[in-house]
Amino acid sequence: MLTMLEEVVLLAVDEKTGGLRSAREFGTVYALVGAVLFDLALAGKIDTDTETIQVIDKKPTGNKTLDRVLNEMMRRPDLNTVQDWIEHIYHRKADLEGEALESLIQQGILCHEKTKRLWIVDVERFPVVSDRHLQHVKVRLAEAIRSDGIPDTRDIMLVSIAEPCGLLGYVLDEKELERRRARIETLCTLETISRKVTRAIARLDGTLRQRMATKAI
Amino acid sequence: MEPYYHAEAVMIQVTQETRSGWHVIGVRGRADSEAADELEGTLRAAVAAHPKVAADFAALDYISSAGLRAVLQAARAAQACNAEFAVCSPSSRVKKVFDMSGLHHVLRIYGDLPC
Repeated sequence: MLTMLEEVVLLAVDEKTGGLRSAREFGTVYALVGAVLFDLALAGKIDTDTETIQVIDKKPTGNKTLDRVLNEMMRRPDLNTVQDWIEHIYHRKADLEGEALESLIQQGILCHEKTKRLWIVDVERFPVVSDRHLQHVKVRLAEAIRSDGIPDTRDIMLVSIAEPCGLLGYVLDEKELERRRARIETLCTLETISRKVTRAIARLDGTLRQRMATKAI
Repeated sequence: MEPYYHAEAVMIQVTQETRSGWHVIGVRGRADSEAADELEGTLRAAVAAHPKVAADFAALDYISSAGLRAVLQAARAAQACNAEFAVCSPSSRVKKVFDMSGLHHVLRIYGDLPC
């Protein structure tokens, strides 16, 4: 089974071109941090409440990225809120996307192509080798949004991470997303981690807007 | 039916009884990651066996994200087998978590027991 992080990064790969839709945008990094925290929660390593986060099982998961974050969490008991950890991992500038891509390549789901644009600029592409996993992710997301029932835990998490990454537009068309806006917001609110990710992205957007306004003056 | 206690429960104590057609599951203690599996298992078993199940959270002191997921997945199981599932009488601390999570959008939460 893919990790939440791998599923979100896979969703960001353009099936036709192999290009990355997320292009390592700042907000996406926050969402990927959220995906890692969800993976640790699903593995039974951490638990959260409305504010705090705690390590409940120190044994490694066997996944390189998750274990690095888990070790970091054990080393820093002074950081104990979900918000602290989202900000902390974000500022460590770990290439979560790159690590997930590497893992997807190793699993034979993607391949890696490097070309030159105009003989100078490096262009990286990650064409889909086997689209079974990608289709599975898309179907689960579409079902979670279209249905009025309670989705599986993983699917609730997936919607709440794909939404702030702006990736739901690659699963359903704009009209349908607009029609199901309330449902998406409901699913995104259910988990503390996704609420904090959304707040972190909103704060980042506000800071960037403020900086741009200051420059314009 | 007399309430009984789960002997293996560490973090939560669960009582079960049937009243006026409702199978009432009383949960006491802390619904965190340690108790989540037991809570989900108990609620799932109840909705599989009874058409109307009420989870009485009046004595539940704390619920974490893992506990919340357990309740949600039990409610999902109830939908799958067309059982009625209601979360009742949450303490103010637990209700605050439900409110922040918008849980009322996806399942039925009552201030009091329906029976």
